[in-house]
Formats: sequence, C-alpha cells, structure tokens
Amino acid sequence: MASQIKEEKILILATESCAYPGADSVGQAHSGYPSNTYILRVRAPVMFPEEFYLDCFRKGISGIIIMSCGEECPYEGAYHALAQRIDRVYQMMKARDLDIKRLRLTAICTVCNRAFLKEVNLMNDIVQELGPPVVKEVAQEEG
Amino acid sequence: MTDPKEKTEKAESGKSEKIGVYICYCGGNISDHVDVEKVRDEAEKMPGVAVARTNSFMCSDPGQELIIEDLKNGLIDRVVVASCAPSLHETTFRGAIARAGANPYIYDHANIREHVSWVLHGEKATFKAEKLVGAAVGKASLLQELDPIRVDARKHATVIGGGIAGLKAAKVLAERGIDVVLVEKSPYLGGNAARLDTIAPFGEKSAALISELAEDVLARDNITVMTHSKVIGFEGYVGNFDLTVQTTFADAADHEQAAGHYIPTVGVITESATEHIIETGAVILATGFKSYQPRHGEYGFGENSAVVTLPEFIKQMSEVDPSKTELEIGSRKIRSIAMIHCVGSRQIPGIHEEDEDGYLNEYCSRTCCSAILHAANQVKEIFPDTNVYDFYRDIRTYGRGQEELYDQAANNRVVFLRYSAEDSPVVTANDDGSDAPLKVTVKDGLTFNEEVEVAVDLVVLATGMEAASIPELVSMMKLPVGTDKFLQEIHPKLAPVEMAVSGVFLAGTAQAPMTIAEACNGAAAAAVKTASLLSKGHVELDPYVAEVDQNLCQGGGACIEACLADGALEMQDVKTAEGTVKKARVVPALCLGCGACAAVCPSRAIDLKGWSLKQYEAMVDMIVAED
Repeated sequence: MASQIKEEKILILATESCAYPGADSVGQAHSGYPSNTYILRVRAPVMFPEEFYLDCFRKGISGIIIMSCGEECPYEGAYHALAQRIDRVYQMMKARDLDIKRLRLTAICTVCNRAFLKEVNLMNDIVQELGPPVVKEVAQEEG
Repeated sequence: MTDPKEKTEKAESGKSEKIGVYICYCGGNISDHVDVEKVRDEAEKMPGVAVARTNSFMCSDPGQELIIEDLKNGLIDRVVVASCAPSLHETTFRGAIARAGANPYIYDHANIREHVSWVLHGEKATFKAEKLVGAAVGKASLLQELDPIRVDARKHATVIGGGIAGLKAAKVLAERGIDVVLVEKSPYLGGNAARLDTIAPFGEKSAALISELAEDVLARDNITVMTHSKVIGFEGYVGNFDLTVQTTFADAADHEQAAGHYIPTVGVITESATEHIIETGAVILATGFKSYQPRHGEYGFGENSAVVTLPEFIKQMSEVDPSKTELEIGSRKIRSIAMIHCVGSRQIPGIHEEDEDGYLNEYCSRTCCSAILHAANQVKEIFPDTNVYDFYRDIRTYGRGQEELYDQAANNRVVFLRYSAEDSPVVTANDDGSDAPLKVTVKDGLTFNEEVEVAVDLVVLATGMEAASIPELVSMMKLPVGTDKFLQEIHPKLAPVEMAVSGVFLAGTAQAPMTIAEACNGAAAAAVKTASLLSKGHVELDPYVAEVDQNLCQGGGACIEACLADGALEMQDVKTAEGTVKKARVVPALCLGCGACAAVCPSRAIDLKGWSLKQYEAMVDMIVAED
C-alpha cells in the first residue's frame, strides 16, 4: 500500500549553482522545514515558458518558488529575461483568477539558509491559506 | 501500480522501460528517518522501473557494483540513485556507469538526504523520498544518451593582467607546456603588489618577489609579454578564442591618434597603436583590484595632508631614513600616529555614505587588518618612541602568521581602541596647543565606551580593496559580476576559479579581496585548470546544450532573439520538399546551456539536452501523481 499524504504541494525550482546547494546547506544544518516542498535542480529557470507555470497549477501544484541566483546568475542576462517572463506569468495568473502569491521569484545563494527557510515557510503559509489552485481557463491569450 | 497494458503504452511512447533505482541508507543518515525499504517497494512499482535496490552505502564499491552488474546484465538502461546531494557523488555514479560500458548521461539523482532525511522525520520523510525518487524516475525515463562535445583546442592561453597573479599564472602555464601571452595595460609588470614595500605577515621584500617572478616570465620562450596593451575584441569559444589586443606606444590619452599626429604641448606621435589577433585556447583574468579612495572629508581625507591612505603611508615609510632616531615624513616629525581600520570596507546601509550609484562596499577587504598591523609593527620596531594608536572595529588577522602580527603589535605597545560602526572615530583639527595637527575622538569599546581624544601627527586609513573597473571586458566577454562588483566564479567551493563562460578562468583579486599568497594560490589553480583543459589538444564540452528538432522548427527566430550567448544559435537554409526554408541551428561550443531559447519556441522545437522541458513536466507529473 502506497503512502498517501494530502498536502498542498510546493514546487521549488532551484538553480544548480546557487539555490540547490543552498538547500543542501539547509540540510547540512539540519534545519527543518515543511515536507510538502519538492526541490528540482535547474540550470537556469529562464528555460521555463509561461505555460509551464500555469500547467503546474493545473496539475495541482499549489505554490511555486523560483530560487534563482538573482543578480549573481552565471548566465549573463538570464535573470533579467526571467524577471520579465515572471511578470507576464503574473498577468496570465490574474486572468485565470489565480492568486499571484502562489508564484514567487527569489534569489537564494549557496549559504542563504535563513532566506531559504523564510521563503519556504512564507509560501507554506500562503498555500495553506489559499488551498488547492483552481485555474479558470480563458478562451484566448492576449499577445 | 503499473499494469502490463500501461507498460506497453509507455514502451510505445519511447520512454525507457528498464530503469534501475538504487536507494542508499547512508549508514543511517537516511534510513534513520526514511523507511528506505518502503521507498524501494514503491519505486519498484513505478512506471518503467525494472529493478529497485538498496545498500548501506551506495557510493561504496559494493553499492556501485550493484549498478554495474545490472547494466552489464542488460537488466537496466537508465539509472536513478537516491542518496546524498548530487554534488557529492554525481561523478562517482557517472564513473560507475561508464565502467559498465554504458553512457554516463543515462542517470539522474534524487537527493533524499540533505533535502529529506536531514530536515524531516517519520512518515512524511518517507513520503517525500518516494516522491523525489518518482520525479527522478520520471526524468530518467526520458533521458537520452549524450556525448560530450569534442572540439580541437589550442595549447595556448592568454593571461589578462600583469600583476602578481597574472605573472604567477603565466609561469605555471608555461611550466606545463602551454604557450602564453600576457597582456598588461600599463608599461610595468607587478601590479598593486609592486607598490608595497614589505609584505605582511612575514616581511619579504615585494621588489624581490616581483623581480624574481617577472624575470622568470620574461626569460621564458613560450611566454610573450605585451605591455601597454589591452584586449579590445573577444570572439570564439573554449579552446578557440580570438582576442584582439591593442598595443599603444604613447600616453594613454594619445593612443587613439595616428602616427604623425601632433599632440599639443607633447609633440608628434611616431608610432600608431597596433592591433594583433591572438589565437588562444583559454583566458585567465588577472585584472586585479583598485585601492579604495576615501571621499573628500572622510576621516579628514583631502582636507588635511596629514590624513593618508595605507598605500600612501607604505610608500612614505619606504622612503624614511631608518637611521634617524625619530620618524620623519617629509620634513615633519611624526611622534604619534592614528591608524583607522575598515575604511571603505564593511560599509553599512544607513550608516555609511553611498557612492553616486547608491552602492556600498559591504564586504570585508580581508587584507587590511594584517597590512596595517604590519605597518604599525614596522613603525614601532624602527622608531619605538613613536606612539601608534590602532582604531579597529574587529581584528581579522586570519591565516598563517597573521595572528602573530596582532600579538606582536600588542607587544610593541601599539595602543588599541575599539569603535563601533555607528560611532566611527572623528578626525578634526587639534586645538590643544600641541604640535600635533590632528585630533581623533572615539568612544572606545574597550573602556566601556569612554570618549577618548588622541592628538596625532598623522592619520593612516586602512583602505580596502575594490573591484578593478573593467566594464569593457565584462560586457565584451559577458562576464558574471557579483553584487560586490568583483568577478564571479561558478561556485566558491565546487568551481572556485572557473567562470560560467567556458574556458575563462579567474586569478587573484579580480575575484575578491585576498592576500598575495591567496592570489598566487588562485592563480596557480587557474593555470593548472587551464593547462589540464588544453593539454590534450581538444576539449570536451558539457553535452547540456540546446538541440533543435528540425522537423518541428518553423524558422521563426524567437530562439535566436532570446539567446544569451552571441553566435550560439543561427539560422541556416535547409532544403525541403517545399523548397529552401530557414531553420535554427545550435553552435554547441558557444551554447551556454541556459535554456533561454527553450522557453520561447512556439512549436517547442528547441530544448535543452539532458535538462529538457519534457523531463521537467514528467517530474512534476510524478510529484502530483496520486498513487
């Protein structure tokens, strides 16, 4: 019999140069945080199109934290492009009655334990309050 | 969980049906909190999983042997290891897979120690571990065999910057059979280190150190030194860079002028600037630092000539006649000196004044405590009657021989006064009637914040290090820069001298404030990394680059617009049944592997090898899957 725990799932897209080792650092410090957090290692979150985020919500992911390298991104220009994309995702979320608090763009360094824990706990509070996402589909996407 | 019908459908979809899952107990580190056998049971039921095994230490030889045997026996064609952080053992397991004769890129990793057992306990930990293993299985089912990209590489490196780090890097490279061009913008070799007299903590003569290194570099046949030169063009990719170097012969202000041009009050230029293309395989950036220049009025600097920076004081001390009984600088007798730490370093928002860009140097410059204590000791040891007052926030004399400097200063009767950032010392004109022109007032933390006034003849500011201003290089080479404005390595521990631009390395204080010893260590590391990269005559690049599905590509060009690396994507003419059409093409050696292109393709024709969108979608599917 498989385990079954109902939870509001949080997807964390963590950059392999900064936030993913940052999450390792939190583990090395044995600092507990909510279990409903699923960290995926990414080279650069700039690779995800707008629809990826919406699809995650459609599939039932309650919250997404993009843990980027911020201004210290090793790919020159990637963070700027990412920030612009996330602005567009926010517009698309609003059009679908999705609370934009469900998606958060942050910068976490390799030793940013406190910032990591703060972001995770904050998002957990948000998804516990908001519950599962309901995506109101819109007929036609603008621009 | 998976019925045969589902398995058949999966096989038709091109996903692997032979995934092996290997879950580690980590000697209790994982198994004390995660029911590893339960995770194994669940993994075995996951779509595409052929075998799931556990071991006390999967990284041990017997653990690795499980994977090797299953691969050799044809039981599996994809591998998932669930253990500690991938940074620790990814190469271990890739190596094991390669030893089994398989492609090392058919493997994904689930981190169930740092991300699970060390932060969670009980049922939730086991559940999360199952989900992460599931996500890795989802990705592994779509992994393709990848081959490293092999390109010819020139056994030639260019070092930019002729300071001590640049000299050291050039020497180490040359010793390893790599031809080197050393490009230095000034007419001199030695950089900032050449401006020192003796070097803390052991007191070697800077002149001797620089001369020895420079003589070695200049004597080598396989090092070409280009002074008065700067890099003005950068093209190509790892192993095959073309640098344009401009060499000038006149003063910097005149170098743009052609030969025969009359420069007012100077004369006629006889030689034009020349440009050379340097064909090189790798670049080491040893562009150094600049010393912090205090603002006008900061601790009286610029308002009173008796307030000097530490580099100025070092120069003054080098010119002092040590045979005299009293310290004299210029014609002034210096009976009392105040030395103030942390000037231009460890600046705090709201306390320190920002520069015109709203920027503060919030970092510690790391070298100034030792440097100023070394200077204090020099003064006290040559002129014991000169009083030295050391105003510090914290003493950071880390590293071999440096703490001894602090002890030595105390033994030399240097007087220490501790200040807080909120109550920094105030330097004013002295009005007590003595000869001393200045007065330093501070609330001394060592005497319960008692206000102390010290009349002094000289104030020396322990100015910190700032990143050298190299905006042209940063823009031209697309160099990542940290928030502290120094050049940014890929990772401070895992890739400490490598930059995200493949084939570009960091040496010395271009990267961060550091001592001469640390700069030389960094330079040697960068040189050895460079030599090992180039010595085979070819380089193997990470296969994680973009890939275009020519059948799906519509030639819209959105990927080219989004691409962050110049030249990594280009349009090519492709002949089809309907005629010649434009389609995107990846230049693998130039691709950074960031995936910026994958996000913008309307037909999803371009994706990142090894980290594809489809794989991430599969991972999310496994995370949200109901059992």
